Amino acid sequence: MIANADALLKPLTIKGLTIRNRVMSTSHAPGYGKEGKPQERYQLYHEEKAKGGIGLTMFGGSSSVALDSPAAPWNQVSVADDSVIPFFQSFSQRIHRHGARLMIQLTHMGRRTKWDTENWFPTVSSSPRREPASRTIPKELEAEEIARIVRDFALAVRRCKEGGLDGCEVSAAHGHLIDQFWSPSVNHRTDRYGGSLENRMRFGREVLEAMRRAAGDDYVIGIRMSGDEMIADGLSHEECVEIAATYARDGLVDFINVLGGQARDDMAHAVSLPNMSFPVAPFLHLPSAIKREVEVPVFHAQRVTDLATAARAVAEGHVDMVAMTRAHIADPHLVKKLSEGREDDIRQCVGAGYCIDRIYVGGDALCIQNAATGREATMPHVIPKADVRRKVVVVGAGPGGLEAARVCAARGHQVVLFEKNAAAGGQINIAAKAGWREALSGIPRWLVGQVVKLGVDLRLGTEASEEAILGEAPDVVIIATGGAPSLGHAKGAERALSTADVLTGKVELSGSVLLFDEMGQHNAASTAEVLATRGCLVEFVTSDRYPAQEVGTTNQPIHYRELYKLGVVFSPNLDLIEIYPEGNRLVAALRNTFTDAEEERIVDHVVVEYGTLPVDGLYRVLKARSVNAGQIDLDAIVAGTPQPFDLAKGFALYRVGDALAGRNIHAAIYDALRLCKDI
Amino acid sequence: MSAAFSATFGLSLLVWLMAAVALAGIAARVALWRKGRAAHVDWAAGLMAMPKRYLVDVHHIVQRDACAARMHMLVAGGLLAGSGLAALGIVPALGGSRVYWALTALAFAIMLTGACVVGLRRYPKRPHRLSGGRFQILPWLLMGYATGALLVAALAALGARGGLVALAFTAAAGLALSSQTARGPMRHALAGALHLAAHPRPARFSGTRDVALAPVDLEAERLGVETPADFAWNRLLGFDACVQCGRCEAACPAFAAGQPLNPKRLIQDLVGAMDGGTNDYAGSPYPHARPVAGTGGVDAPLVGVAAMIHPDTLWSCTTCRACVEECPMMIEHVDAIIDLRRHQTLMLGAVPEKAAAALDDLRDTDEAGGRALSARADFAAGLDLPVLHPGMAVDVLLWLGEGAYDLRHGRTLRALVRLLREAKVDFAILGAAERDCGDLARRLGDEATFARLARENVATLSALRFARILTADPHALNALRNDYPAFGGHYEVWHHTAFLDALVAQGRLPLGTLAGLAVTYHDPCYLGRYNGEVAAPRRLLDALGLARSEMARHGTRSLCCGGGGGAPLSDIEGERRIPDLRMDQARDTGAAVVAVACPTCTAMLEGVSGTRPEVRDVAELVLAAFEAGQGAPAPRRRALELQP
Repeated sequence: MIANADALLKPLTIKGLTIRNRVMSTSHAPGYGKEGKPQERYQLYHEEKAKGGIGLTMFGGSSSVALDSPAAPWNQVSVADDSVIPFFQSFSQRIHRHGARLMIQLTHMGRRTKWDTENWFPTVSSSPRREPASRTIPKELEAEEIARIVRDFALAVRRCKEGGLDGCEVSAAHGHLIDQFWSPSVNHRTDRYGGSLENRMRFGREVLEAMRRAAGDDYVIGIRMSGDEMIADGLSHEECVEIAATYARDGLVDFINVLGGQARDDMAHAVSLPNMSFPVAPFLHLPSAIKREVEVPVFHAQRVTDLATAARAVAEGHVDMVAMTRAHIADPHLVKKLSEGREDDIRQCVGAGYCIDRIYVGGDALCIQNAATGREATMPHVIPKADVRRKVVVVGAGPGGLEAARVCAARGHQVVLFEKNAAAGGQINIAAKAGWREALSGIPRWLVGQVVKLGVDLRLGTEASEEAILGEAPDVVIIATGGAPSLGHAKGAERALSTADVLTGKVELSGSVLLFDEMGQHNAASTAEVLATRGCLVEFVTSDRYPAQEVGTTNQPIHYRELYKLGVVFSPNLDLIEIYPEGNRLVAALRNTFTDAEEERIVDHVVVEYGTLPVDGLYRVLKARSVNAGQIDLDAIVAGTPQPFDLAKGFALYRVGDALAGRNIHAAIYDALRLCKDI
Repeated sequence: MSAAFSATFGLSLLVWLMAAVALAGIAARVALWRKGRAAHVDWAAGLMAMPKRYLVDVHHIVQRDACAARMHMLVAGGLLAGSGLAALGIVPALGGSRVYWALTALAFAIMLTGACVVGLRRYPKRPHRLSGGRFQILPWLLMGYATGALLVAALAALGARGGLVALAFTAAAGLALSSQTARGPMRHALAGALHLAAHPRPARFSGTRDVALAPVDLEAERLGVETPADFAWNRLLGFDACVQCGRCEAACPAFAAGQPLNPKRLIQDLVGAMDGGTNDYAGSPYPHARPVAGTGGVDAPLVGVAAMIHPDTLWSCTTCRACVEECPMMIEHVDAIIDLRRHQTLMLGAVPEKAAAALDDLRDTDEAGGRALSARADFAAGLDLPVLHPGMAVDVLLWLGEGAYDLRHGRTLRALVRLLREAKVDFAILGAAERDCGDLARRLGDEATFARLARENVATLSALRFARILTADPHALNALRNDYPAFGGHYEVWHHTAFLDALVAQGRLPLGTLAGLAVTYHDPCYLGRYNGEVAAPRRLLDALGLARSEMARHGTRSLCCGGGGGAPLSDIEGERRIPDLRMDQARDTGAAVVAVACPTCTAMLEGVSGTRPEVRDVAELVLAAFEAGQGAPAPRRRALELQP
């Protein structure tokens, strides 16, 4: 067992509410809300964590208390009327069944939301200062409106209590209305709500006092706040400590949930939700400082991805509860596994930010490596055993093949996994070669550990052949041979190198490089960083409107920061139309996507990123011999039923991942899980 | 003819003379024993019971080594019968009968056969556990005496001549043999017989295991045992009964692990101390023996570098009672060790460092780790275990024990709680009112702390209404069941394996099967050897459909995990760790799982590194079988969805 595990597994009692251990998940918006209510999908997602041993799970990040803070953006929860109470009741019963506690976050988002949705009310704030992130200019709140919103908070907390929730926190972090009053970067009022810190703290105080009156002294009400806004005109660390100490001393809050930074613009957003480029627990010093000044428990979340760090944070007294929100998205059973001595089975969050990046483009939270998260109604976190033991051959040990082997082996099948390379991991091994993307290697590391533990016959350095596969007399063959880089369709494309050539070290470039990208993903941005770090002069050309257009909002700013620092030149809105030699150099012909104007570059190398094309030679050889001609029954996949093929007549042949069509890690893993769970 | 008759007469006289020599030898020992403290002995009952104790109880132990049992039956039976007949030959009516001497010759022939087996056992190569020295010449003396006496009797029976030469031969061997009674192999015969009659734990002969330690009068001037004279006289007698067969040595886990303890040597050091420190011990030494002066006396200290026994020897003991279980002379080694520890701890404060810290915590906080009593139930946070308060009544009081603080054992307890709930058992815990049971303090010799904890726990329990106590900790079970009655606490105490076994038998826990899982069960010493509960856990495991196999040592003869008696705290260095030895035995069975039933065993065995079977508590296995029997999970409760 890890050091200090006992500190993590100790209960915490707040006002008579006992939380069974020190591990929690903070309120966030997974995008699962429906009609402003936490319905089945939302509840099952949290129930899985409760089953998995979590002490406290908080849901409803930014649940709104008022009509002028709409719930529609990010599919959030509205606590603005009583219709939500029955949902809270079924939700809390569901979580309490497993011994866990359930709380919600209540907030008014102020200017940090949209006006062009739901009821089309203007956004509001302490002062009419535009927020870059939400792109809204808010209306300045009048005293009557302040009183209304204070009342809305009080009504909302009553609904939480009636709904059986164990408590709630108000959000005064990430630039919501309460911290829009606190922060001098927003609040320029001259009335009793502006000016001195005491005045700026007044709105929050009124909210908490009203909530306390509505919910009673025994109901747990906490606050989420920043420990340092880390901007010149924002709240300093000292001011944050003072706010926390004052609210705690005056009995307004029962716990303080501390984070670092704020989220008013792209870079601040990426810092406040640190990805894999950050060290683990980068802002632990902030709750630690606040804990020294307050008597109430202190919570903290921010890239605590492993239990050893979590245990240290609690054991050393920096925090009372440690939030492992993304860690639970990767593995909702992590506390159970810890307490059962199965730490090696924990699927650790790699910090890819796939979950949160999807939310900020209006999607639902999904885990890059755990396809069951958020799909609890259809996908199992614990794979049940199959009734009939089959022989399964999987070709290719990338994420799709590894997941297929893992799930089949967990079903009790006999599994042979061929991998022609010496190491498993597939294209993740290439992606992980790029600078701060190294942590991606955690995905295959866990999968390999599991397949070995489950007894899969993993044949590394062994290329599968038709004879070798048929020699195993398989019932099922799964082709997960992945994709190979495409060099695109420009004239003279054969003169280009692929990003994979650069990352794998197949070529080592120097001089000037034109990097052309039509995918907008991490691949080209990572490659640009690698090339520039090695001294190349890099021009990053893309047909998109801006580089790395498809990279999410917690990752893209990190790419930009690094590429700007390295002097990489960005040239968006250009197509690559031809590459031809001139002397020992290359000329790249480019065409503007809006004007069709053409221009040329003379460079030493052209590197291109066009995604991958399936490696399907083996599939085509086996296809005719299989009982299903290599086809997957889509109706059965969607219905969650076994593929309707008669294995008595021969073997079934399936493809998963990029061997089917070039997509991403999650797609490959989901392909494998949903197919194999019913084999 | 007359020569033959005089030879038989001589033989008769010889036997009487040998008896006199033996009695004179033992008389000197009696004088030494009388220097011990007084002890209540029911002589009449003891002497009456002696034949049964010898022929049944002792025989049960001796016959575990069938060859040794046959050997002893022949040689001792022959010796007693032949010598008895020869002695009575002094009566003319008998001495004149050739048939009588034929019978006598037969008896000595039987003895000679036995004596030859004794010889074959020790020559050409003496087994490791047997002592040499005087014991190595024993077969020659037995053979000499038996051969000579056989010849004398046989010649007389045949009416032949030449008896006097044989008489001279047997006289020399016989007198040498009987002189081995004062200090030598033959002492065991007389001391052993007396020990059976005056045994300090007579209940051991009436079917109970009688393992409760005697409380100490804490007001006495001297606590525990410092010198041989501090032992009760019948304990000293018991030490003299030792025949140095080495069965204790072969069973001792500390000896096997190369720690400086050998129960046989320890008993001989106690005997040697009575003799003034002389010691002609010729058996295996203490492994990696720590040097001591080797001086002693009836009134001289026993333990210390300047005495007979090094403290490391004393603190190596796990109190597993394997030596006691194996001893054919029914010697109580562990009682002696506890008595010696009591003096070290209570009078001298000479406790190993980590053990001293634990005792300090027990004194200050009622808990060996200094942890809050309210934190004992932390493992069950979220399970809402009911706490028993005065005014409530409950069927089962769940005693959590020291192990509840341990994360690993918390898993076991959670499994047990789940099973209790599934079986609808009406149970509660003591919560913060549960103090340490005191087992650790008692085994480390801190009788004062144990007595206080026992009294306070008894007071707590007296105020509560419950029908029985259930615990997953055999140490707590033993303390509550066997040690607390002396402090006024009389409880029906169940170990969880027995309790779950009963629930399964009553059909209250429907089980699926863990078919095919290869498992071997490790008996906790405090459950098996101390309390004789070896059947219930096995019956329970068999109900799970497991493929169960036994380790080389199991049941009441099991090998300790190394965790008892505060040994993990004393932490005396050896060559290997005891749990490694035990795990080797588990590995040899090929089992995938070692089933355990004690938090200490769990911790010790899980501490074994390298590839090894998984360690799982019986409760965890029962829960797995229960869940396997539950089939498909119940249909999911749908969340409330908005109506379209």
